[in-house]
Amino acid sequence: MIQTDRPIANPVVVLREEFADWAVLFNPDTAYAAGTNPVGVAVWKLMDGKRSLDDIVSEIQNSFEDTPDAAFKEIAAFVNTLAENGFVGFEVENQ
Amino acid sequence: MPTLNTLYFYLTEGCNLACRHCWMGPQFHATGNHYPTLPVELYETAIREARPLGLSGVKLTGGEPLLHPHFARLLEIVQREELKLTVETNGLLCTPEIAAEIAKSHKRFVSVSIDGTDAATHEWVRGVPGSFEAARQAVRNLVAAGIRPQVIFTVMRKNAAQVDAMVRMVAELGAGSLKFNVVQPTARGEKLHEDQETLYIGDLIELGRHVEQELAPRTTLKVFFHYPPAFRALHRIAGGDGCGACGIFGILGVIASGHYALCGIGQQVPELVFGEVGKDSLEEVWRENATLKELREGLPERLEGVCSRCLMKRRCRGSCIAQNYYSKGSLWAPYWFCEQAEEAGLFPPSRVGTRPA
Ligand code: SF4
Ligand code: SF4
Repeated sequence: MIQTDRPIANPVVVLREEFADWAVLFNPDTAYAAGTNPVGVAVWKLMDGKRSLDDIVSEIQNSFEDTPDAAFKEIAAFVNTLAENGFVGFEVENQ
Repeated sequence: MPTLNTLYFYLTEGCNLACRHCWMGPQFHATGNHYPTLPVELYETAIREARPLGLSGVKLTGGEPLLHPHFARLLEIVQREELKLTVETNGLLCTPEIAAEIAKSHKRFVSVSIDGTDAATHEWVRGVPGSFEAARQAVRNLVAAGIRPQVIFTVMRKNAAQVDAMVRMVAELGAGSLKFNVVQPTARGEKLHEDQETLYIGDLIELGRHVEQELAPRTTLKVFFHYPPAFRALHRIAGGDGCGACGIFGILGVIASGHYALCGIGQQVPELVFGEVGKDSLEEVWRENATLKELREGLPERLEGVCSRCLMKRRCRGSCIAQNYYSKGSLWAPYWFCEQAEEAGLFPPSRVGTRPA
């Protein structure tokens, strides 16, 4: 089994949408929570284990105006932080 | 052991105003200065002993700090030590000369309290005729000296309708920001709550939402509503609106009697006084005091009630430990605002979450 670069949202985590499209991600297993901006919310919704990080970044660039050049780095960092806290895993596949 | 970043000096036991909502309850004296003030030697001693613990700033507050008979000397010491300076004043004694002295500190932050857009409202709150114009003049004096102060407005039934107009007035005065505070039910503020002169919890939450989401985006003035982070929009928190958290891990109070205390609450609650300046070693107080140690070990996990279920507790730490202790006699008691909101069914559901048993 190898780990792909296709992030997948932990299905137990709940996305709680708030004012101005920001949201709280809540993990009921750990009672940990993270706040996220509208781009993070969109990234969260795209993490289905089928899309790679590259796919996600290009979809974000299509849906948000003025996405900065550093978007890939920022989104990768966001996904990694979520992964470190058990909010996200990476799809695995047989070699 | 955490760094002791800031000493909060409660310089005077008296005050030249008699505000209805004051959480410190100082003695009123219209003229002269008849109540204890912190001796300059003790002020210097506390600063000297705090330096090796990491001190980088001081807050000078009261009562009314400008009533201190040697206020200019206290400022010189701050400048000599190159400390960050915060001054909280009611403005009555903030002359152009004092403003110029404060401006000599490069890293300074000054707040002036104004509780209405007209003299009748402000002076109903503050108890002294002429105090409205004096406070506005203080803001002008500070602006002329190159300081853009924060104006602090405490919301209550009497002045709540002036919130929008306040933004315009403060912008015209040239201040840098405007903060709306809620009356804390401590000392005279407790009486104001009992007399129902304060707003109901639902009205406070709605006013906070109005300020953050409707007023703030429409003005270039920085505008804050100081309520717990569970109620604050995420984009405001991410944007650096840091109000609402108790800085208890990095601060210590020094009260006018010359004692160390959790903060100014030491003047109301003797159990939260931790030692005597000059007699007790500050390092030992900071390192060994049982209450401080208990707080460092227990916050936020030991918080109770709504605070124990709140997703913001790591950031907020129960909002104000002094207030919680004053109300319930426990360091871990929940904050009254959030408790009332939860009882009224108004605590934001997206900010609650507990671990399964
Ligand atoms: S419930 Fe407690 S921890 Fe949460 S925001 Fe309110 S005061 Fe802070
Ligand atoms: S306990 Fe309350 S008054 Fe004291 S420093 Fe914290 S927030 Fe301020």
